[in-house]
Amino acid sequence: MKFPYCQHRHSLPDPKAPALEIQGLDVSYSSGDKLALKGFDLSVSAGSALALVGPNGAGKSTLFKAICGLLPIRGGNIRVFGHSLGACHHRVVYLPQRSEIDWHFPISVLDLVVMGRYVYLGWFNKPQKKDIEIASQALQEMNVLDLADRQISQLSGGQQQRVLIARALAQNADLLLLDEPLNAVDVTTRETIGEVLRKIKAQGKTVLVATHYYDQEEGRYDKAIYLKDGKKIDGTNHIDDPHKGCDCTE
Amino acid sequence: MHYLTDPFQYVFMQRALIAAVIIGLLCAALGTFVVLRRMAVVGHALTHSALPGLVVAYLVGSSLFGGALIATIVTALGIGFLARDESVYEDTLVGMIPNIMFAFGILLISTTKSFRDLFSMLFGNILGVTDADLHLILLIAGISLVALFLFYKELKLFSVDPGYAKTIGMPVKSMHYGILLFLSFTVVVGIQAVGTVLTNALLVIPVAAARMLTDRLGRMMLLSCVFAVLSAVGGIYLSYYFGSSSGASIVMFAALIFALAWVYKFIQKKIA
Repeated sequence: MKFPYCQHRHSLPDPKAPALEIQGLDVSYSSGDKLALKGFDLSVSAGSALALVGPNGAGKSTLFKAICGLLPIRGGNIRVFGHSLGACHHRVVYLPQRSEIDWHFPISVLDLVVMGRYVYLGWFNKPQKKDIEIASQALQEMNVLDLADRQISQLSGGQQQRVLIARALAQNADLLLLDEPLNAVDVTTRETIGEVLRKIKAQGKTVLVATHYYDQEEGRYDKAIYLKDGKKIDGTNHIDDPHKGCDCTE
Repeated sequence: MHYLTDPFQYVFMQRALIAAVIIGLLCAALGTFVVLRRMAVVGHALTHSALPGLVVAYLVGSSLFGGALIATIVTALGIGFLARDESVYEDTLVGMIPNIMFAFGILLISTTKSFRDLFSMLFGNILGVTDADLHLILLIAGISLVALFLFYKELKLFSVDPGYAKTIGMPVKSMHYGILLFLSFTVVVGIQAVGTVLTNALLVIPVAAARMLTDRLGRMMLLSCVFAVLSAVGGIYLSYYFGSSSGASIVMFAALIFALAWVYKFIQKKIA
């Protein structure tokens, strides 16, 4: 018996609808605050890979947080696979920046990755053998299965990032929102993440990546959207100078 | 051997032992999440908030448990409610409201011109637990421990990554209020053993000791429970044989366990 976390039923995607459709989106962190996103429009077709490029504070994380329901929407509309927000939690996964996790919490790497299965388990159900297998497989894809029993506080920055991506993979979502997955990670981790992104795209999943490194990864994406001060800006201005408007100094 | 068994020829000591074990288990189990979620200061605040409820209940002759429970729940939910719009920081409210409640409790006591029961309210009296108290302790601890078992998985995720918990549809605000509610229950039960001033110590010290010895949540919770029960039972013996305050004895026993854990950790680091 299932007791889902959300009162909405998990809906099947509308095959004709884009993976993500945003119209006139206004978002602020609290009521009365300056808008962090203003009148933002975006349409992302299913199976595509999109880069969100912009300096710190441009609104990339804000956009992701609004899409997955972490921030209230002040105006406009977001539809995911043709449904309003909250109708298909298991189909959307958000990879947060690493600082948003309590890395000192006393659990193992495998425990953390199994959490990617909770959306399917709901209240009262414990993870089953199948969930452990899926989590282990995700760790294997990220080349960190040997860390499964390690306490999460003992991970390096690159390992933390791989483990978080493994949790996102374990959720088996159709729309992945990855916030700076390549930020401050070693070369091996960057290559592993790049390879996994290619596989995800090949599986027909939709990927949005907030990145500072678009000039180095341009080939991975179908399109780039440039943001500045909470608004989309003309990307063509950046083709010749990918650093323009983007804080690429890490 | 008779030193261990002698105290329990008395019914009040048997009741105290059962109450101590249950309170220890509850404080340690919930205390694990209180410590890991960095809510120790909230626990401290709630223990102080219980005082006016206790005094009012004493003055009108109703259940002290009921009075303390209402006062802590009102405080816990009040802090959560006032912190919602972030016009005042939650830690400011936590530092402010319980002190006002504590002062109000002292004010009420001073108007009664009788300080007879102040000592047991502030520092607990587990040797004075009645049958009715014991039933209530069992009920509250039973409900709280079952809730902790049922929502263990969700509490883990909510503690390590509340953002992700929200994205998969978990009602994180309700869970926060739920933790505050069960913390109120635990505080009220703990007050019986160690009083308003020292209850937070029973919530925090056994968990802090366990945290030094393991980095796994399950083991940490188990060790915390063992340490809390040892402290509670050890405190009862101290209180029985030396006539010391039961609440203070329990907390000092917990402090001794913490000191031993610290020394063990220190030696382990030196050897490694």
